[in-house]
Amino acid sequence: MIKVKDLYYNVENLNLFENADFEIPSNKLTVILGPNGAGKTTMLKLISGIIKPQKGKIISDAKELFYLPQKIKYPQGITLTEYIESYFYKNNWTWFLSKKEKNKINDAISLMELSDKKDVLIDNLSSGELQKANIALGIVSDADVILLDEPTANMDLVNRIKVLKFIKKLTQKGISIVVILHDINLCISYGDWFLGFTKNHKIISGEKENFFTAENLKQIFGIDFRVVKDNEYIQVFN
Amino acid sequence: MIKNKKLIIITILLGIMLLCLYLAIYAGHKDLGFSLVKKAFNTGNDTDSLILNFLRYPRAFKAFVAGSCLALAGMFMQAVSKNPLAEPYITGISSGAGLGIVLSVLLFNSVNYSVFGFFGALISSLLVIVFAGFSRFSITKLILIGLSVNIFFSSLISLIILVNPLKSYTMMLILSGGISANGAVSDKILLIMFITGLIISGLFIPKLNYLRLDSELLESNKGRKYLYTVMLIITAAFLTSLSVFSAGILGFVGIIAPQISRMFFGQDYRWLFVSNLLLGSSLILFSDYIARTAIFPLQIPLGFVVAFIGAPVFIYFLTRKGDMFRD
Repeated sequence: MIKVKDLYYNVENLNLFENADFEIPSNKLTVILGPNGAGKTTMLKLISGIIKPQKGKIISDAKELFYLPQKIKYPQGITLTEYIESYFYKNNWTWFLSKKEKNKINDAISLMELSDKKDVLIDNLSSGELQKANIALGIVSDADVILLDEPTANMDLVNRIKVLKFIKKLTQKGISIVVILHDINLCISYGDWFLGFTKNHKIISGEKENFFTAENLKQIFGIDFRVVKDNEYIQVFN
Repeated sequence: MIKNKKLIIITILLGIMLLCLYLAIYAGHKDLGFSLVKKAFNTGNDTDSLILNFLRYPRAFKAFVAGSCLALAGMFMQAVSKNPLAEPYITGISSGAGLGIVLSVLLFNSVNYSVFGFFGALISSLLVIVFAGFSRFSITKLILIGLSVNIFFSSLISLIILVNPLKSYTMMLILSGGISANGAVSDKILLIMFITGLIISGLFIPKLNYLRLDSELLESNKGRKYLYTVMLIITAAFLTSLSVFSAGILGFVGIIAPQISRMFFGQDYRWLFVSNLLLGSSLILFSDYIARTAIFPLQIPLGFVVAFIGAPVFIYFLTRKGDMFRD
């Protein structure tokens, strides 16, 4: 469980968050929605501790946290496997990885369906494949809280669905996941808990049923939406 | 298959290094054959053995130390700052070490110069890092501040040399880059320090493979990242001071060797470590051979030769495989 209490953060005289107050439940897939510039990425950075709030507290019980930024610079001239290997050298003082670690990497790679690209230089991978490689990096990091900033950007529809399904599965293994997404209808099917960042930097949170109302969406995005509910199934139209 | 290709390249580099080592030791104005190898270690008293023992071996050893240390220091700095231009010379670390050594020559006669060199290098690297901003090295800022530190320390060295004509020769050697064979006693200390430097570097190689990940991605592990960064910078400063101690202030090697290595091996620092060790030492060994023999009996300052050989080689590789450097 991550609790954000009375958080205050401003950038260049712009109050991005004022008394922000919300919770992120454990072992759930939390989705952050909102227009550009609402402060979604900033909030992930605050939660991951990269930047500090001017006031307020973030109480987190995360043992290990993995944060995947939106824009990533990749090293050159190494293969996909070697890229994922990089993370293991954090604690290792040996030059070579153990068999166990190598197996773990192979598992993560096959989970992300990248096995056939294992030995391809990452310079030659497509951006969707690179994103999948980064998620594999998150898997091998052994983190119990994973923050993903638009992990499905650059992916085709099929891969988006696959990745979301996969992320959802991770929550059953005791991993809390927070993800920024822009595809509203897709995230309705997979998210457990939703945070909406409005244009005016307010934060609305709730479960699927309570969160997706025309009123909330209007407040978040500033335009009118039509919400169609059919039992558990919710669809949002403009 | 890729691994085999890399092994072949390493073997070729090793061959080149051995060839340069041969040139540095056995070739020159006085050509010495391989047959002397055995003799030399028996400390014979004939001229050939004397030349080998007191001139060629120490000189080749220092060239080897200078080249490999500069290449490794350059590799460390580029890895930490994620900037292909970061290098001991440009960022003023070399001149910091030079200033330390010059000061120790001036004030303490012949105490262990290298200790001063190390602290000089450390101070200048800290200066550059503090001013350039620790967590986010802006490429331009790092280079500009490094250049300023470099110019500042270099002029301080020139000033000290100018006002101390009696000790100016030793000090000039440090400034212009050059290897002198004398000082056989300190060779042992240098050897010990060089091996120490190599062991420490080897220890941190896996960490470089961790730090190659995106710097923002590593930010959520700030503590570790900063710890490794600081340790690597100290190691780079130490290696730089060794190189300045043995061959004076030399530019360019710290860029050429790591960049050419990167074209062959990508950013796998385990391969890069070996490759830089071989390439850097080859470059200085060969340059020193030219410096020694090109216009015998005069000696060309080593720094000039490095630039003459290094610049065309570097440009050749850049134009051939330049697409490695798109951002």
